Amino acid sequence: MIRLKEVSLRLGNAGRSSSVLFHLPSFEVEAGEAVALTGPSGCGKSTLLNLIAGLRRADQGQVEVAGSDLEKLNSAQLDRHRGMHCGMVFQTFHLLAPFTALENVVIGLRFGARTRSKLQEKATEVLDRVGLGNRIHARPHRLSVGERQRVAIARALVGDASILLADEPTGSLDPETGQEVFHLLREVAEEERRTLILVTHDPALATRMPRHFDCSGLVRSASTAARKENSPR
Amino acid sequence: MSFLSMAWRYLRFRWLVSLLTISGVAVGVALVCAVLALRHESERALSRDAGLYDLVAGGKGSPLQLVLSSVYHIDSPTGNLPYADFERFQRDPRILWSAPVGLGDNYAGYRIVGTETQFFDLPDRQAKPFFQFAQGRRFEERFEVVLGSQVAQSTRLEIGDTFFGTHGLVEVPGAEVHRDFPYRVCGILAPTGTTQDRAIFGTLASVWEIHETEDRLHYAIQGSALLEGRQERETTAILIRLKTPGLRLWMADEIRKGTDGIATVPINEILRFQRGIIGPAQKALLTVASAVVGVACLTVLITLHQAAERRRRDIAILRSLGANRREVAVLVFTEGLLLTGAGILLGLLLGHGGLALGAGTFRETTGLLLYPWRMPTLELAALGAIGICGAIASLFPAISCYRRTPIDDLHLTE
Repeated sequence: MIRLKEVSLRLGNAGRSSSVLFHLPSFEVEAGEAVALTGPSGCGKSTLLNLIAGLRRADQGQVEVAGSDLEKLNSAQLDRHRGMHCGMVFQTFHLLAPFTALENVVIGLRFGARTRSKLQEKATEVLDRVGLGNRIHARPHRLSVGERQRVAIARALVGDASILLADEPTGSLDPETGQEVFHLLREVAEEERRTLILVTHDPALATRMPRHFDCSGLVRSASTAARKENSPR
Repeated sequence: MSFLSMAWRYLRFRWLVSLLTISGVAVGVALVCAVLALRHESERALSRDAGLYDLVAGGKGSPLQLVLSSVYHIDSPTGNLPYADFERFQRDPRILWSAPVGLGDNYAGYRIVGTETQFFDLPDRQAKPFFQFAQGRRFEERFEVVLGSQVAQSTRLEIGDTFFGTHGLVEVPGAEVHRDFPYRVCGILAPTGTTQDRAIFGTLASVWEIHETEDRLHYAIQGSALLEGRQERETTAILIRLKTPGLRLWMADEIRKGTDGIATVPINEILRFQRGIIGPAQKALLTVASAVVGVACLTVLITLHQAAERRRRDIAILRSLGANRREVAVLVFTEGLLLTGAGILLGLLLGHGGLALGAGTFRETTGLLLYPWRMPTLELAALGAIGICGAIASLFPAISCYRRTPIDDLHLTE
């Protein structure tokens, strides 16, 4: 389902001594699996997530997601692939301020759905599913942070994406709301057999996921990486 | 949700900036529309009046002054021609219609035009009678008058009412009122949409009688002998329609040679006047209006660019949801088109609405009838050009959004 092999990419400004190298020898996730990506800040968790989403392209290696080799897709195909297969949830929700909860979800459908019929009904249904059936016409600034994250989750779910990519989804929430959001994501992913890849700093949260992948050591400075490659084995 | 409704929601979200940008475009468009429509309408209205006559003959002086005084009832006459010249024109087989014009007095600022009863036989260019009577009839007796429609409307004079003329062509406080010669209204003309609506038509004999009596009185006061028949009767101008309009220049030349006065083709004078005097002023106005439109288009560009900069995060979010480069560019471009389109519509409304508001005053002061909602071809072309400028201005921020990589902007906060 998701397969990354010998993937490397240069982060920061190439050609500068400060540039860093992301290198991932291998990473595989089966359909319907739930995986936590853990590790300290700057270790490459979000980079891995963005590679899967196709928001970043690898300089080398193979990135296969939902049956497509992302490196072979052009920009427009990559965007469409992301819209159809990946539902993204961010730490800061990333809702669009001018639009209501319902419209934010409909916009998710606008670009990601396989079919564009009955957008409103579908979006209302999903908002209902995440417990926001009575807040569909509220704009983001009228919603609590927990509600905003639920809208973001609804937006990720609505297009029937088979992969849910959540980047620190509980990072901006209080512990109680964080728990609720975590439960919601897990529940939805499990019930609908969607793949869930969740980036988290919280070790307690990571241990509650069936599998976790430690990203420590994926990112190194380019010079260190070069030394390591040249050193005798 | 369509791009159009998304773009509209973004514009509504930052309504103040949108409103100011739309207003900027609208002011420019309104100026362009007003200047072009006014030019077209005034040209049309001036030509309509001037086109009624093939020739105007009058005393020596400026041909333009002769046309303005005898056709448009503004400006002073150039001088007089002997009435005998009019009688001669009447016998000329090449002349379809002619009428004398004797000026000298006014009522409430409206000129009293002394003429002959055949004045009302003037045919329009389709050979139908140009003048229609709304009420009453032509003058038959001395001191009977027919009012132009606007005169009747503003003075509220009705059939049978009487009034006194005041000496002079314009209303001046303290001017001499001819109290011994009351005029009586016998007819009111239907609106013609020309300056004829602003005139009062009476017999030329009345004009002569008033002024000859005044002259006699002056001579008597000065102790001079009465000068019975001291001078031949004169007319201020003679309006002429030819059977063959192609003979205009040839006839004008013949009149110049055969009389003490001049003859001119009104339409030629008016076109010369428009191109020489009104034209450059309108061009200057149009240049200013174009500059305003240019600045407005620049405002669209700046507004959209700033909006796109502020919305880098939103654009990145849309990309993360699956929108491709082209789609986000189309969204920003659509916003630009909406801003420009709204500005153009509002400008059209302001420009033509302004003309509609001013049309009444314009008619009162010039007698020319404007059709403020009519759009000349040049205006449509100008609007098209403005639309293209707005589209080009919208293209730059759209291209900028097209080029951005979402990952660079996803970390941005609201």
